[in-house]
Amino acid sequence: MSAAVSTGRQTGRVPAILLSFVFAVVVLGPVVWALATSFKTEVEAVAVPPTLWPSAATLENYFKVFRDQSFARDFWNSVIYAVGAVAVALLVGIPAGYAAARFSFKGKRALMLVILATSMVPGVALLVPTYYLLDTLGLLNSGIVVTIILAARIIPQTVWFIANFVEAVPIEIEDSAFMDGANRFQIIWNLILPLIRPGIAAVATIGIVTTWNDYITVAVFAPEVAKRTLQVALVNQVFDAIGISWSYMMAFVVIASMPVILMFGLVQKWFISGLTAGAVKG
Amino acid sequence: MSASPTQAAITSPSAGLLGDAPDASSQIRFSWAPYLWFAPAIVILFLVTLYPTFFVTWLSFQKTRYYELTGFVGLANYAEVFGSSAFWDTVFVSLAYVVGSLAGALVLGMAAALVLNNAGPTGTVLRVFILFPWTLSMSVVGSIWLWLLNPSFGPIPYLMHVAGIEPGLMLGDPSLALPLIIVVTAWWSFPYVMVMATAAMQSIPKELYEAVEIDGGGAFIKFRYVTLTQILPTLGSTALTLSIMYLTLMTLIIVMTGGGPLGSTTTLSFEAFRGTVQAVNIGPTAVVSIVVLLINVALGVIYTRLTGRVTG
Repeated sequence: MSAAVSTGRQTGRVPAILLSFVFAVVVLGPVVWALATSFKTEVEAVAVPPTLWPSAATLENYFKVFRDQSFARDFWNSVIYAVGAVAVALLVGIPAGYAAARFSFKGKRALMLVILATSMVPGVALLVPTYYLLDTLGLLNSGIVVTIILAARIIPQTVWFIANFVEAVPIEIEDSAFMDGANRFQIIWNLILPLIRPGIAAVATIGIVTTWNDYITVAVFAPEVAKRTLQVALVNQVFDAIGISWSYMMAFVVIASMPVILMFGLVQKWFISGLTAGAVKG
Repeated sequence: MSASPTQAAITSPSAGLLGDAPDASSQIRFSWAPYLWFAPAIVILFLVTLYPTFFVTWLSFQKTRYYELTGFVGLANYAEVFGSSAFWDTVFVSLAYVVGSLAGALVLGMAAALVLNNAGPTGTVLRVFILFPWTLSMSVVGSIWLWLLNPSFGPIPYLMHVAGIEPGLMLGDPSLALPLIIVVTAWWSFPYVMVMATAAMQSIPKELYEAVEIDGGGAFIKFRYVTLTQILPTLGSTALTLSIMYLTLMTLIIVMTGGGPLGSTTTLSFEAFRGTVQAVNIGPTAVVSIVVLLINVALGVIYTRLTGRVTG
């Protein structure tokens, strides 16, 4: 426990606990309200005065979302882009990260600086040139192109994290495996990857959340209905403000966040270690 | 690549033992191999990030009409952008947005970290729940708050009404839209500050607090001279991470206000987005993009220096 607690501040704990709940209410209140709204009828959602809990809870809004003819495709695109981008990032990031940690060669520092530099280029600054290039090459509305663009956003952090994880594995383990006749591929696959699995899980979790939540990349480079994701479909509904049904939209919000919520609940530990890795300087 | 085979070696002290090949041939092999390990990552980053970066720079010197290029114009696009008052309004909105959101997130995040750190097991459990909104997408956060702030049916205007405050147009009010977006941004991002500050606080050696106690220092002294001093580097890098994020954030603004009303929430990044999709004249949009790019790189370089990620 923290030093403050162990030094006779037990009396200070009660206000701290109360204040903690105040923070929790401020943060979760809006989320709970959205959740409650998703179970209300369209009429009750806009009732004055507003009701906190639905008087007659209904799943109708959720059924309406599922019945929407483009929902399955939007959902599938979201899954494919997120899983695909993370898979690509790991596929190219693991070799690069391993090489960065284990090999010493001319120009390594320059290569790592280039990778770092690309992480500083914001996606927003590349909207115009990328749109122009894709338009010229006839590559707009391509699922593969969107996946690779999303992957490129998470490749720099993937390389850096993998390099750090591999560096933490004692080289002696690899040396003895070499002497036993293992080749480098076997060593990485059988030895290194199992050892750094928690690190890879953290990188993958952050990567999936980041790409699942992306709106801009898909909205600008693959605006076609058949290529859009749940995030794009959600925002399009906001734009369609005249026919908007708030209870329907909140159900959509819940469903569009569900995978991320599940993942957050299941691998919350990896999520937090991914967030703080390399960023805390003690 | 093959210029200096002898310089390519393996960092391992036992490089000579690697593989069953003789030393000489393994050294030659590893003279090009390391580059191949990097090649796929570099190819993707070149195509998606580096080339478009060069291209947008080139684009900013071209005369454009819609998406057509009609020749080199030198600095004309720059002159047009920097000479327009709308651009400077956008710069001001960006600055106000970043500074306002940062102030809110840092103060709330620090307060939450301190409070939860002193709340024992309750704090540990609540910390997880409080981090939750950070995982939500900007489109989701925007939609939720659009609903909460809706002047006709939203619960927040209703509560304001009950409290005797006339809510007015909320996000439709040019003087209220930006402050409201700042509040939402701070709400969404302060849990990140909280997690970072907590991690840093928990790595402070207890001896430092004990030393203050021996000298008779109270809670404030402990906070000011131990906690704050020790977590300052982490707070600094967190603030930079958030500044970069706020500067480049578009989706929340797209959803909540669409840059309006009357341009009151048009930031540089939103302008770059609008220029891309409206595509009336992409030359000036390229200039705005480069401004965002340069600020971002500057912040990124400071971040790298501060966290010592690249030391050599």
